[in-house]
Amino acid sequence: MQKFTVTLEQFTGPLDLMLHLIKEKKLDLFDLAMDVLIEQYIQYLNAVDDKLEIASEYLYELAALLEYKSKKCLPVDPKPLEVNDYEEDPKDALVRRLIEYQQFKDISQLLNERFLERQKQLDKPIERQIIQLADEENIRFTQGNQSDLLKAMQKCLERFNYTHPMQVKITKTELSIDDRSDQLIAMIMNLVEPFSFDDMIQDVQDRGVLIVTFLAILELNRRNLLSFAFMDQEVHFRRGEAYGYNT
Amino acid sequence: MDITLKAIIEGVIFVFGEEGISLLQLSEALDLGEDYIRNILDEMVKEYQCEDRGFELVSIQDRYKFISKAAVHDYVQRIITLTKSRQLSQSALETLAIIAYKQPITRMEIEEIRGVGCEMMLKKLQAQDLIREAGRSESAGRPILYEITEEFLDLFKLMSLNELPNLPNYQEESSEHQLFE
Repeated sequence: MQKFTVTLEQFTGPLDLMLHLIKEKKLDLFDLAMDVLIEQYIQYLNAVDDKLEIASEYLYELAALLEYKSKKCLPVDPKPLEVNDYEEDPKDALVRRLIEYQQFKDISQLLNERFLERQKQLDKPIERQIIQLADEENIRFTQGNQSDLLKAMQKCLERFNYTHPMQVKITKTELSIDDRSDQLIAMIMNLVEPFSFDDMIQDVQDRGVLIVTFLAILELNRRNLLSFAFMDQEVHFRRGEAYGYNT
Repeated sequence: MDITLKAIIEGVIFVFGEEGISLLQLSEALDLGEDYIRNILDEMVKEYQCEDRGFELVSIQDRYKFISKAAVHDYVQRIITLTKSRQLSQSALETLAIIAYKQPITRMEIEEIRGVGCEMMLKKLQAQDLIREAGRSESAGRPILYEITEEFLDLFKLMSLNELPNLPNYQEESSEHQLFE
């Protein structure tokens, strides 16, 4: 007989696993046979090859199920419940959660279809000229933070990929951040302000140098030789306050 | 040479590429009311759906841009190899769906629905600019609230959150019968 290995990877969590078991055993979600579900759930976790792999979330739900089961085994207290003592039946709570989870599972399926369709539709990157030609007075500078800078860098990398799509070259370029900083200092002297990331990577041919350039930009910014501001998620650079003094 | 208003709008949208142009910007540039321009844009959206066109006009929260039609994709790929498209895991999709329908929502609330920890997932989605922080909840500990971004809408080609399909409604099918039995 073929050995059937059980994994949890195909499930996004304990609720997903429970829904799978309910479907497999053809249980009625609205009239849930808890004993069957609990039994199946325990069996499933026991069958998982590497016990250590079971994430704590699965064990947490397992504990909740066992608590439910053990409570059911206890004799019921005949004393009528106080209004304040009322607690939602854990079974109802579980069913409510499973239904809600199923809703989002179905919706995420729909979303995925939309996502795959949209992936096939391509956007055209905006011309750099347009950004450069924009009248400087019209540029609205806003405060940016590190994550804005990262986002801009990602955009720049994307553009870099567009313009260097098919090239595959493996070379090791040794260029220190200091060397690159010096190169940049010389380069930005001739650039019209405000200039962009793209202006500073004109001479860059590979990703390694690109990263060194990015680090050098941060370094120059720290030394007040380069300042930057944001407009529509685009970074605009200027020579910094210290530029000209010590260069 | 004179061109029509529609042609001007078309040209402007073309120039702004993937960034798109907002209704407000168009209205200011053309010195015409937003409603007036919106009507023209609505008309254009329909016109580009025509099978004679290889791209279409989409709007994401009143920002308009052109994107190529899905059917063009295969032919582009015959010319150049497109970089492998983005992937979204089932977990990511579920988390996004929950935030989109329940926003603003805290991490705890998301975890309650999904039954698993979501901290890393939220960081990932934030880094991808698909969700963002939206202030803090007034409840104990003032947890961070999350909401989806325009980038999310674009990724699923949604004009706005109103375009999301309704959540499926699972009614207990037998309940009615039971009532009458």
